[in-house]
Amino acid sequence: MRHLKTILLAAALAMGLSASALAAKGERVKLDGEVIDTWCYITEIMFAEGSAHHLCALWCAAGGIPVGILGDDGKVYMVLKIEDDATSVANPTVLKIQSHQVSVDGDLYVRDGINYLVVNQVRDDKGIVKINHDEWGIQPEGN
Amino acid sequence: MRKFALAALFAAALVQADDTRAAQEWGLIGEEIARFEAKVVDVLCELTGDCPAGCGKGRRQLGLLTDEGRLVLPVKNFTPFSGAVDELIDFCGKRVLADGLFTTNRGHTIYALQFVKELPDGKWRRANRFLPKWAKRFGFEPGGPEAKRWFRNDPRIKALVAEDGKLGLGPAADKKYFSEQ
Repeated sequence: MRHLKTILLAAALAMGLSASALAAKGERVKLDGEVIDTWCYITEIMFAEGSAHHLCALWCAAGGIPVGILGDDGKVYMVLKIEDDATSVANPTVLKIQSHQVSVDGDLYVRDGINYLVVNQVRDDKGIVKINHDEWGIQPEGN
Repeated sequence: MRKFALAALFAAALVQADDTRAAQEWGLIGEEIARFEAKVVDVLCELTGDCPAGCGKGRRQLGLLTDEGRLVLPVKNFTPFSGAVDELIDFCGKRVLADGLFTTNRGHTIYALQFVKELPDGKWRRANRFLPKWAKRFGFEPGGPEAKRWFRNDPRIKALVAEDGKLGLGPAADKKYFSEQ
């Protein structure tokens, strides 16, 4: 069996496939969290949650910055695919749910300290639940 | 002889100008200037083996895979509110020299790409290709006022704001909020 694996690996490499092309499946997960703009949230260049940051989150998603889910566990998950749509740059489905509190099923890949998520299903979408614009204003330009 | 020396000096200055193109500090939390060699890869492909031609042609997030096997995620470029995919898509599958900033905060390390050049002998590019591509896509002048404030003029964003408001809570919530400001 081990010999067979070696032969298959050698054949794959000979065909020009990278080792990563033989990537294993991710870990199946269920997550609850807020759809966020990852740049503003991770860098803390501004307040980056809820209704206060919704407009900026739209700008950043349309600009191609990776959209993530801020899990209720406090971790950020970079969304690489959502249901049948494998695009992750200005994805219209993701733009539509930006800042929403969602529940998803997905496959998690952790690589070099970053959590990457393939969303298989959005099970629930509660819309924006962090109503915080009275406290924070509209980030970052105020209107 | 003097002519030759001047020409050599000029050539050296050009080389130096090229080599001294260097990332700037942005004052981010946990930032670190970093220049490194890497291969441009489609992140979803790298992780799952789902690998369309051309790295998804600009519609997927791109990564920088170092020779040590570290997958770096470039999240930002030089233009306001935009990412790095438009800066890297021309180099899909190729080796580049990336220059920019790592920033580590809230348990995550991401990368802001400021300059990039193809190896071994490409020319440095400032990571600001997003705007001309955006302008071309939506029919604006690349250097015009609409492009400079692209995020205020993007038809996709305008449509979403018209539907859900700037707060994302519906037009009535916007009306109430702005009437109180």
